[in-house]
Parts: sequence; structure tokens; C-alpha cells
Amino acid sequence: MSPRTAFRQGVRELMPAAPGVFAWGLVTGVAMVKSGLSVPEAIALSLIAYAGSAQLAALPLMATFAPIWLIFVTAVIVNLRFVVYGVMMRSHLAALSISKRIGLGFLVGDIMFARFSALLEREPHYPQPVAYYFGGACSNWMWWQVSSIIGIVGATGIPLSWGLELAGTLTLVALLVPLCRQWPVLAGATVAAVTSVIAHDLPLRLGLPLGILVGVITAFLVERQRGVA
Amino acid sequence: MIEPYVWWVILAITAATLVTRSGPHLLGAKLRIPPSFDAALRFAPACALAAIIAPDLVFTGEILNLTWENPKWIAGVVAAVIFATSRSMIATIIGGMAAFWILKAWLAG
Repeated sequence: MSPRTAFRQGVRELMPAAPGVFAWGLVTGVAMVKSGLSVPEAIALSLIAYAGSAQLAALPLMATFAPIWLIFVTAVIVNLRFVVYGVMMRSHLAALSISKRIGLGFLVGDIMFARFSALLEREPHYPQPVAYYFGGACSNWMWWQVSSIIGIVGATGIPLSWGLELAGTLTLVALLVPLCRQWPVLAGATVAAVTSVIAHDLPLRLGLPLGILVGVITAFLVERQRGVA
Repeated sequence: MIEPYVWWVILAITAATLVTRSGPHLLGAKLRIPPSFDAALRFAPACALAAIIAPDLVFTGEILNLTWENPKWIAGVVAAVIFATSRSMIATIIGGMAAFWILKAWLAG
């Protein structure tokens, strides 16, 4: 199999997910502008950071001019799932140069990781995993950027009273729900939510890291309790 | 025109993305995730998302509002139920926004 064939297969197998990527990008684009970013600011954020959920998570923080370190920490925590993806895919990229590993690692997304894992589940000795990965990554990148920019540019014509920035929050709800299938995670997330609401008046949006901390501790305790029982 | 604060935000998010997405590919091939870090990996993202989403949905202006007069948190609940049953992000966004708009129109009318 040639790399080109594998690249095409990667592109093709992402297609069924393209409408979902497109909707998510569109909503993120609209939400960025409706949260107060200018059109060039929103386009720069989308093209440079290419961060999906971390971008959305940063929006309410940016709107209140939260400190940069808090935005960094929040983005890292929201992105922690990518560390898991990276560790799982590492062996397939290990033979490449450092710059290629950095570049290909940067292009990973939730949906293309799911596709890549499914492929290796199906065909553990697939001959061109890197080219397949690159095909899926490019396709995902293109759908995301095109839809984000359509959302950013189109958002200026949409009245603020429609409340479309809420769509960004609803997208995060869709990411949160599947994570809460286990009791410890559900308990931790609930406590984190309540804590961050109670602590909302703290300066520098410190209610957010406080909520995360108390939530993670709760999840730990619940898991240990269930382990003992 | 891009404000300096926004440049810093872009830098911070890009750095966070590089660390989490590219970082694992730079570690030695034999490295395994220690169990305590593994638990944090499983718990922290859900806690972070919940802590971000909750204030967004329950505050109108700076006032805590968990009544029918705040359609945002109800839209959030509707969205969660739709995603849990359908696994479709498009249905979640459309259904949640529809609930939001219907309640808002009903409150106004």
C-alpha cells in the first residue's frame, strides 16, 4: 500500500464525522465573536491554537479578563485527554523526526483519534498508519477551520439577542456527558460545578481552579470508597 | 486589530495545546503513566468542564437564577439529556438552542 492510498483512506474515513466537526466549528466560531472577540482575533485564535474545547472553555475567562496563567492551566486541564491519546499513539509515530512528531501530535483531535484507534483495532498491522493518520488529521483540520471561519464571519450579522454564545456552552455539555459514565467522575463533576457556582464571586475567577480541585478530590474519595466496599 | 491581551490568550492556549498533544510524543518510548496521574487524567477534564459550564448556565448577569425565568440552565439540562440518549452533537446543539428560544419566547409572550 502506498502512503498516498493510506492518506486518501484517512480522509475518506473521517467523512462520516465531517458534519459533526463542521457543526462544532461553526458554533465555536460564532461563540468566539459573540463573547467579544473581534473577527481577526477569533480567526487568529482558531488558526494558531486549533484547540476546540479549550478555546470554548477560555471564552468566559477571557470575557472577564482572567489572568493568563489561569487560562493556560484551564486549557491544559481541558486538554488532558489528549495526553492519553498521545501515549496510546506514541509508538506509531516514534520513528519520525522530532518536528514531525510535534506537528502530527499537534493535529490530533477527538474524532480522528477515534477513527485511528478503530483502524488499528481492525487491522493491527496496517502498513501505513502515519499516512492514514495524516489524512484524517488534514481532513479534520480543514473541516474545522472552514466551519470556524464561516461562523466567525457570519456571527457579525447575527443579533446578540439570539443568545448564540449559549451554543458553545452546550457543545461543552456534549463533551462532558460521556465522561460521566462512572460514579466517581459524576460525583466529582457535580461537586466541581456546585463549588464553582458558590465560589463565583472570588477574584481572578479562582472559583474555577477551586472547583476543579474539590471535584477531583471528591472523585478520588468516591472511587476509594467504592473500591473498599 | 488584535489586542495584546488576546495575543497572550492565543499564546497560552497554543502552549497548552502543544504540551498536551505533542508532549507525549517527545517522551521516552518506555515511559508509562503512573496510576495516580492516570486517575487525575480520568477525573480532571470532567471536573474542569463542569466547573466552566455551571456558572455559565446558572448566572444571569451576576445573579444566581435557578428558576424558570432563566432559560439557560434548562437548555443545558435538555442538551445533556439529548446527548445521553442520541450521542449526536448536532442534535444536542439544535435541541438545546430550541429549548432556550422556546422558553425565552414563552417568557416574553
